[in-house]
Amino acid sequence: MNDIVLETKGLTKYYRRTLAVDHLDLKIPRGSICGFVGRNGAGKTTAIKLILGLLNPTTGSSTVLGCDSAELKPSIRQRIGYVTEGHRLFRWMTIGEIEKFQRPFFPKQWDGKFFTDMIDYFELSRKRKIKHLSNGQRAQVSLALALAPHPELLIMDDPTLGLDAAIRRQFLEGMIGLITRQGKTILFSSHILGDVERVADRIAVIDKGVLRANCSLEQFQKAVKKVMLSFTDSVPAEIDIDGLLHCRRSQKELELVLVGADEEQITAWAQKSGADKHQITKMTLEDQFIEYTAPPDHKKLFQWEEL
Amino acid sequence: MRFLMLVRKELRQSLPWLLLGAVSLMAIAGCILWLQVRYSIYDSYDSYRSTSRYFDITRHPPLQAIGPVLLITSLALGLILGIQHFWMPHFKQTWSFLLHRSVSRKTIFMAKLTAAALGFVMSLGIVWLALYFYGYHSANVPAPPVLRVFVEGCIFMMLGLVVYLATAVTGLSTARWYTTKIFPLLFTPVVIVATVCQWKLAGAFAVIIVGVVILLSQALEIISNREF
Amino acid sequence: MGIWIQISPGADKPIYIQVAEQIAEAIAKNQLSVGDKLPAVRKLAAELVINPNTVARSYTILEQAGLVTTKTGSGTFVADPKLRSSDAADLNLLSERIDTIIARGLNLGLEPENMVSLFKARLEGFVKKQESEIK
Repeated sequence: MNDIVLETKGLTKYYRRTLAVDHLDLKIPRGSICGFVGRNGAGKTTAIKLILGLLNPTTGSSTVLGCDSAELKPSIRQRIGYVTEGHRLFRWMTIGEIEKFQRPFFPKQWDGKFFTDMIDYFELSRKRKIKHLSNGQRAQVSLALALAPHPELLIMDDPTLGLDAAIRRQFLEGMIGLITRQGKTILFSSHILGDVERVADRIAVIDKGVLRANCSLEQFQKAVKKVMLSFTDSVPAEIDIDGLLHCRRSQKELELVLVGADEEQITAWAQKSGADKHQITKMTLEDQFIEYTAPPDHKKLFQWEEL
Repeated sequence: MRFLMLVRKELRQSLPWLLLGAVSLMAIAGCILWLQVRYSIYDSYDSYRSTSRYFDITRHPPLQAIGPVLLITSLALGLILGIQHFWMPHFKQTWSFLLHRSVSRKTIFMAKLTAAALGFVMSLGIVWLALYFYGYHSANVPAPPVLRVFVEGCIFMMLGLVVYLATAVTGLSTARWYTTKIFPLLFTPVVIVATVCQWKLAGAFAVIIVGVVILLSQALEIISNREF
Repeated sequence: MGIWIQISPGADKPIYIQVAEQIAEAIAKNQLSVGDKLPAVRKLAAELVINPNTVARSYTILEQAGLVTTKTGSGTFVADPKLRSSDAADLNLLSERIDTIIARGLNLGLEPENMVSLFKARLEGFVKKQESEIK
């Protein structure tokens, strides 16, 4: 069994003149849950479609389960589960009919009992037409369809968008249920960083088509730091510390967001610049993501004015 | 098994339109034929001389008037099925779900085409057969059913499939209007006109086959391009 | 397992530390006795809806601290306290926690002597409770 389940090299996609994905170099090891995060329009869906061979890249390549995405053999596709953006299914079918439709494409793997159990758990009737289901219920069916063949690789494109907390939790439970089986890997894109923090052990951050981070979740969380410094005299004009993402100043205080600086470097710089006090404040993953993907000179929307 | 499941899915999805097509054809053409037969409003077979260069179907009295109806219904059904199979997945965003499957994209396309062809046979084909026999059976025409007329009706239905393929090509292509899409729009009427202008059946088949081959290869190429 | 673990993503500590600390606390409070088996990694992960690797890390930390032992094939069990040895990392962690409490106390305006007496009282109470439970 190959250790790397998914690998892209310089994957690039232009839509006419718009650059959607810019030289993506992604590597996902077997057994991990990778949270694929990025702002709206950052290129997550395009990247996923390129990886699944549903789109032709402009340049670059992508390999899934040892096979080139451009020529994904049917036998490989059988091992990949895919939850599409928006959970679009055939609206005219009933739940029972769509299961019957899906089954032959996973001849040896389809777990009919598992599907039925899930549908029963969601309190859905097999006779209901998909067009009569709410968004949440359709998402549940989509999840059941994707998990029933116990896929080796599960790729989910923003699966919990617009869903309530209970259904989001069901998706997370489904993911953990799958990952506890041997040799499974999950890639999911999400806006809900709390979910990513909970279940992912790897994170890939994409911003305007560019992969800005691809590491373990712990590394990312350790790397992005916010430091508050206070000065009796004025705040230094030049901030020459490594890994500076943003800085915000007021008269006597300085807020720095750094990536990759360790505590010793920060302490050393604080002393060098003459700060009285400095403190590394805890950031949630959501804070870290926002700071990491914000443009260099970004300010907050509303500025507090001292009267 | 998988191919059959795909064909089944497309057929089942198109069922309402197939029924509508069959019922419309039966109703309109059936009415016309019935009126003709009832009121004997046609010249006798012997006195009818064909001066037109068009299809024989218009030469044979009992089926004279319904030729155009059959042609129009076929073309309409071809267009509707083409839209349903190839345009609607774009609007409903179901291509991703359909295309990530353990079969090739070409297989998925051929399943749609097979379903369309079967649909034509099952809906319009059966109705045409019924109308054909009804026309000859009830008419005061001292002539046995002419097989050629039946075949001509089938050729009209094949033109419906040509329209289906043309609609497929326009639906699959993500290019702008003035590139790939314009070709089927111009090409298809040419094929239709060229077919009905033929005197000989062999000629008609030849034109259709050429049309189908060109549109089919275009469609298969576009779907393999993975632009969506 | 007789204890209840509550995790909050986005809190001060990473999830694996939260889990480890809560298990350690349960062991200290005698909610888990020596020889008790901890739930399987997968089972706990499914219950808490967190990554199994996170649970595995918690168990590893606890094992490094000497609080649990893992027997391959059988599972993870609460270890005998007499066989534990605390090392520098443990003491560091403990010292940090003590610092937090001290900072809190000073913020509340407590005098150092009051804090020491408070600590002594709590410690005595804790030990008494443990001893009564063992009996």
